[in-house]
Amino acid sequence: MSHPAESPLVMVGWDFHQTPVELRERLAFSPEMVREALSLMRKEGLLSEGVIISTCNRSEIYGVTGAAIAGADPLEAVTEFVANYHGIPRTEVNGSGYRFSGTDAARHLLRVTSGMESLALGEHQIIGQVREAFRLASSAGATRSVLHRLFQKALETGKRVRSETGLSSKPISIPGVAMELSEKIYENLAPRKFLILGAGETSSIFFDLLLARGATHIEVTNRTFTRADELCRRGGKAVPWEELDSRLAHADIVVSATSSTTPVISYEAAKAAVAQRRGQPLFFLDLGIPRNVDPHIADLNNAFLYAVDDLQEIAERNRQEREKELGPALEILEEELEEFLTWFGSLAVVPTVASLRQKFESIREADFDRHLEKMTHIAEADREKIRLMAQAMVKSLLRRPTEAIKDEPDPGRRLDRAEAARHLFDLDVKPKE
Amino acid sequence: MVLMLGLTGLSAIALTLYLAAEAFSIAHLRRDRQSYATATTVLLLLGFLVHFAALEIGGRAIHSVPYRDLPSSMSLFAWMIAASYGILLVRHREGSTGPFLIPIAIFFLVVSLVTHPGAVVISDPKRSGSLFAMHVTLAIFGYAALTLAFVLAQLYLIQNQQLRRRKLGPLFSKLPALDVLSQLQRTSVIIGVSALTTATVLGLIWARQNWGTYWDPKVFFTFLIIGLYLVTLFPGRAGGGKKNAILSIAGFILLLFSYSIVNLFISQEHTFQ
Repeated sequence: MSHPAESPLVMVGWDFHQTPVELRERLAFSPEMVREALSLMRKEGLLSEGVIISTCNRSEIYGVTGAAIAGADPLEAVTEFVANYHGIPRTEVNGSGYRFSGTDAARHLLRVTSGMESLALGEHQIIGQVREAFRLASSAGATRSVLHRLFQKALETGKRVRSETGLSSKPISIPGVAMELSEKIYENLAPRKFLILGAGETSSIFFDLLLARGATHIEVTNRTFTRADELCRRGGKAVPWEELDSRLAHADIVVSATSSTTPVISYEAAKAAVAQRRGQPLFFLDLGIPRNVDPHIADLNNAFLYAVDDLQEIAERNRQEREKELGPALEILEEELEEFLTWFGSLAVVPTVASLRQKFESIREADFDRHLEKMTHIAEADREKIRLMAQAMVKSLLRRPTEAIKDEPDPGRRLDRAEAARHLFDLDVKPKE
Repeated sequence: MVLMLGLTGLSAIALTLYLAAEAFSIAHLRRDRQSYATATTVLLLLGFLVHFAALEIGGRAIHSVPYRDLPSSMSLFAWMIAASYGILLVRHREGSTGPFLIPIAIFFLVVSLVTHPGAVVISDPKRSGSLFAMHVTLAIFGYAALTLAFVLAQLYLIQNQQLRRRKLGPLFSKLPALDVLSQLQRTSVIIGVSALTTATVLGLIWARQNWGTYWDPKVFFTFLIIGLYLVTLFPGRAGGGKKNAILSIAGFILLLFSYSIVNLFISQEHTFQ
């Protein structure tokens, strides 16, 4: 439908694929900058609508071109605005990004929202970031009918892809895999008891993950007690290293991430702990390199042991499985895109004016002509004159609304008027459910 | 004859509804859509009601709960399985075991339909009365709940094995967590053992009144089954674990023996007509 060069829908962006992190950092927008930039672009007539998505992996500007863009290249103009806004030379910005318009711009947003453009294929944080970007732009008054519809469609697509395909279902990071395994032993982690060995970066990551899952019974032990104590300031309880063996039986899940070069959990200690637990599973997550937990513990009944290598292997397998889900995910995306394009296409001037004319003509034919035929007491020649008068009246009635749509120089405003006409006169093309 | 056709027709409708519920249940396992879960519950409930209508009409014709002949007893058993699964669904809100549990109800209903002799078995006047009916009905309900416990125990062992061997097959992410499977199994065993114990007590009272004795080899096997399951319910074993699952499976094998071999060849009083 929309020819790239003619479409008022545009996007320019820079992401991790093409743009180095140093430049991405300079191209990033804080929420205040988003508001300011959108306001400027609208004031300058560059865009009539706009949304800026800015995350650590991407900065993207979506917009509907404004009145001032007439005759110029809108993609070039928006790129120039971004370069000027951030004070970055054009030469630096030009070679590293991507620009789309019309169908391609819409498709790109749907791909981004579905996690297809993410660093970790199918990751689902992006859907929240897109929602937030749209909310921010809406609260700044920068969105109208087109971007409202496009972003709603993108969010719907992201949701469908997530629920109907396996693109986001299996974790592909080590902490993600570790949490999934834990949740297959104990479905609800919140009431479970955790024992974390070590107080380094890995322990800290897991500590936060557990807090985020609502865990309240977290014990941390470390050879240097003060470091464990420090980690526990966010919640949890530090226990002395000497109590490690005796605390094992009280834990449901043990996360070990120490820098010890020899195992810190022996087979005997684990065996005693498992025996005390009377059939309650005990899960060991050994994240230490070299291993912190005696591998023979895996042979104990009701004990489960996963080391870093095991987690890595599962993460890799899951990643391959996600790639296989790209096909079905793309089918959903194209289906949703088609619905958006049907609506968007109907907003173009020619189809809107044509449907408007058709609607009025059909009313004239159905109501006026039908009744006129029944008025046999009027001579045929007079009926013909009346018919011609009605046709002229319909034309007069349509002249002003048609001109208001056709002659509006601002493409965004033109689309708004077309949308209003479609709404007022019930001209909408119904998308398939 | 007309009654038999009507009964078979209703049972066939119930079977179709169970099959449809199973199809949606599998679809839900493959794609986590709420609409599939709702469709499963609705179809299962409809199947359950139609199946009840078939049993009720059959029961009215013979003035008794329909357990006199093996096919009727199997149909009742299938219905009880659907009932037990319904209780699990309401109690634990866990639908992912449906694809494995609904087929048991389907299996017994199919066997019942295929083997039905086509004649209404008239009630034996020596074995009647509400006490006797309660005894048999509760016993079959107990068997049904323990059958579910058997399937859940197997699912527990499958999930346990996948986690231990670190070989996470396609079922891994679909099956519930070990603690959930363990809880589901425990609920089934509690229902099963309670029903079976009550059925046995009622049976003993009835036997004392009618035979003047408590003794029948079936009583011995039933107490053995109840004892075995009670071990899994001991306080402190609530966490389940592999041993409980294995005991549940052993209990079920004994139950099958009691339902088939004991009824057919050993007991003089627990036979089918």
